[in-house]
Amino acid sequence: MNIYLIALLIISSLCAIFSLTLHLQMLQQNSYYPSRYFGWLKGNYNKALLKDAILYLIISALVLLKFYRIGCLVALIFLLKNLKKSRKTQKKSIKPLVFTDRVKRIYLTASLLFLVLIVLYILSPATIIGRFAITVCLILCYVPPLLTFTLWGITLPIEKRISKYYVDDAKKILASRPDLKIIGITGSYGKTTTKFILTRLLSEKFNVVCTPHSYNTPMGVVRTVRTMLKPQTQIFVCEMGAKNIGDIKEICDIASPDFGLITSVGPQHLETFKSLDNVFATKFELADAVKANGGAVFVNGDSKEIAERIGEGFITYGTDKKFDFCGEKLSYGRNGSEFTVKLGSKKIKFTTKLLGLHSIIDIIGAVSLAYTLGVGVSDLQYAVASLKPAEHRLEMKPFTNGSLLIDDAYNSNPEGCLEAVKVLGSFDGMKKVIVTPGLVELGDKEYECNYALGKEAAKNCDIIILVGKNRSKPMQDAVQDSGYSQENLYVAASFKEAMEIYSQFADNNSVVLFENDLPDNYLY
Amino acid sequence: MKVNVAFVYGCRSVEHEVSIISAVQAMRSVNRQKYDVTPVYVTKNGEMFTGEDLFKIENYRNLPELLKKCRKVYLTREDDKVLLKSKENKLFGKNKDITIDVAFPVVHGTNCEDGTIQGLFEFLNIPYVGCDIISSAVGMDKAVFKDVLKNVGLPVLDCICIYAKEYVADKQLATKNIKKKIGFPLIVKPVNLGSSVGITKVNTEDELDNAMMLAFSFTNRVLVEHAITNLREINCSVVGDSDECEASVCEEPIGSDEILTYEDKYLGGGKQEGGSKGMASLGRKIPAELTKTQEKEIRDLACKVFKAIGANGVVRIDFMIDGDTNTVYANEINTIPGSLAFYLWEATGVNYPALLDRLIDLAFKRARVRDNITYTIDTNILSGVSFGSKGSKGAKM
Repeated sequence: MNIYLIALLIISSLCAIFSLTLHLQMLQQNSYYPSRYFGWLKGNYNKALLKDAILYLIISALVLLKFYRIGCLVALIFLLKNLKKSRKTQKKSIKPLVFTDRVKRIYLTASLLFLVLIVLYILSPATIIGRFAITVCLILCYVPPLLTFTLWGITLPIEKRISKYYVDDAKKILASRPDLKIIGITGSYGKTTTKFILTRLLSEKFNVVCTPHSYNTPMGVVRTVRTMLKPQTQIFVCEMGAKNIGDIKEICDIASPDFGLITSVGPQHLETFKSLDNVFATKFELADAVKANGGAVFVNGDSKEIAERIGEGFITYGTDKKFDFCGEKLSYGRNGSEFTVKLGSKKIKFTTKLLGLHSIIDIIGAVSLAYTLGVGVSDLQYAVASLKPAEHRLEMKPFTNGSLLIDDAYNSNPEGCLEAVKVLGSFDGMKKVIVTPGLVELGDKEYECNYALGKEAAKNCDIIILVGKNRSKPMQDAVQDSGYSQENLYVAASFKEAMEIYSQFADNNSVVLFENDLPDNYLY
Repeated sequence: MKVNVAFVYGCRSVEHEVSIISAVQAMRSVNRQKYDVTPVYVTKNGEMFTGEDLFKIENYRNLPELLKKCRKVYLTREDDKVLLKSKENKLFGKNKDITIDVAFPVVHGTNCEDGTIQGLFEFLNIPYVGCDIISSAVGMDKAVFKDVLKNVGLPVLDCICIYAKEYVADKQLATKNIKKKIGFPLIVKPVNLGSSVGITKVNTEDELDNAMMLAFSFTNRVLVEHAITNLREINCSVVGDSDECEASVCEEPIGSDEILTYEDKYLGGGKQEGGSKGMASLGRKIPAELTKTQEKEIRDLACKVFKAIGANGVVRIDFMIDGDTNTVYANEINTIPGSLAFYLWEATGVNYPALLDRLIDLAFKRARVRDNITYTIDTNILSGVSFGSKGSKGAKM
């Protein structure tokens, strides 16, 4: 037994515990899926892993050569470095490690693990067990991913037990509430928005609780049931997300839904789903669960992938007359969107501040379900009119000189941008202006997407103001190729300059669209 | 998991005992399949008690004995819950906190029904049954109530309001004024008391001073209005909120004197049942004998009054009919009527448990409407502000 070797092991263990912060953060943000964490390692940790390995080899060599004191010194230096680094990265992080009970348990397990290994060495320093303990200890200390996987593996059975307890508790709570109606919402796109709209509409008549934010995993649902459900709650609106086949069924087994709403099926998470058929099958696990309870399932008939695949026995909504609930006469204006939905025998007019066909279809879906559950027509009209758009997502605001701003600055999805330009194009009778730097970070497709956006802008806008001479080149090309009148195309060097150009046109009959990636503080 | 309803009653009010009767009636009528009931009895000095013994009206005869068997508690908010916590702990262990889902005030009169207790519930941010602060306050003050109604064109009797000091300083002037503007016979009432406390009918000038001084012993502002000689009093209850409300059948109370006295209202039935039946036992005709058109007029008017003051839950509105001209006047509103006017709703076809159920639903509805309109801003604006040199150092971190 060597006191310096013990010191080295202790310092190394501390060093490892501090380097864990980053890895646990990544594991946590990947929902404790080791495969996704591994994906992060593959993408971001190659160089660092090499450094880890070299450090491990150096320390091992020093131990083999019995240069324990030098080893201690090296380890100490790295301990201090790790300490500083872990603090710095956590402070800079957008989403730092959250010290949940699970994380605390992992840290505790790590400490116990190192303690056991060091005690093993102390008890039998000269035997094979002692040497084995040293080797394992050092490897785990200097190769953090290995340590992370080990800890994940050790704690897994306990975590499974704990989550099973929570799941059972949630099931018990729901079982004690036979009158509670549960509505499941899923879909590749639009499920979070639809959930919030539906909750708002239903709250005109019922006490409603929905899963907060975009909680849509089994544990998110369990947590909502355990902490947010109140005795007076009459309806629970439950968002259900899926990345793998069976995910929706798993949630339905916890919160058995009486009604279902499927917003869309599309090519999301194809890396795990492999095919659109699998996406469809997974989303429709919700329909199976609802039908087993004798309930009704509402589906977006406008979603091509759904329409091609569904059979009989669904309530359809969307923009086609053949659907059970059909939105018509969509138009945009100063006061937002206007459309009608046929409810019962009457066509009911709705107005909303939300813009864009996707939002309108989400509203139609929510209206059809809320109406079916007994929310009155005038309550629905009021609730729809009071919906608030998300910030910087086709958000309507009053702007300079009485003009109207459509703020879509957070949109970076190429299709979404085209839709936004189309929305602008439907502001009939107003002067339509777009201010945009175009799209970025799209790799090979960047030119193509920007070109398409430019074409669409030329078709729909009276005045085009592009930001950034080089950056907006593809859009300039598209606008020119469209034969667009040159005097209505402006290229500004900065956003500030773009605003100066716009201010010449701003009056109470003009509408301006801010599209994608503008500085956060552009309004000031 | 049932909704736990806290009935809050008693309080520092001249109608303390009436409130106990109304509350015990209500607590015993709630649908226990759906709700748990927690009595919260507030003593005349404002302390809160809870306990099983509070459910029996007989126990209130000996208050000190009753309170000994109860637990002294207070209402407070912790995280997202409103709790009823014990003030004193048991010798061993801790008394369990009671989570309150909705508060149900059954209090009458000033210092509670007038918005005071509603303020407490607003402060705790807990759903509660009945009128909010402003409508309670308007409903309590007879003078303000008349002003609000007059402003939207609803029929009320003209009146004069006089402050105590004003009157005492120059009784002659005040009397002259009253004589000129109102004329005898007239009614003198404190502006803010319910249940006929301190109200006198004055036929001649000689009786005026006594009536005024009686009223001033209850409040410092008094209302004087013309007394209708050929008077019929008709009461009507309304349930609902600003979205939709409905009026009950009408009743005609039969007083032993020309106007209902406090004794009539609450002690009238005392001979049979030990005074425990409250408003429900008062001599009255239900439904009142009215022509169809008159009944419709009053019921419509009741709903208009209800909306005009922004009421919520169940109220009872008292009307006066001048028999000579057949004119209907809105006289006063009880925002928490005695016995919650359940007897009027039973006559309308709504049983008491169903009425209570609807009132609790309305409480949750109002809470939802507020949630939908207002929202708190999550970020602390002050967190980014620097306060002098010390603060700015902190902000840079």
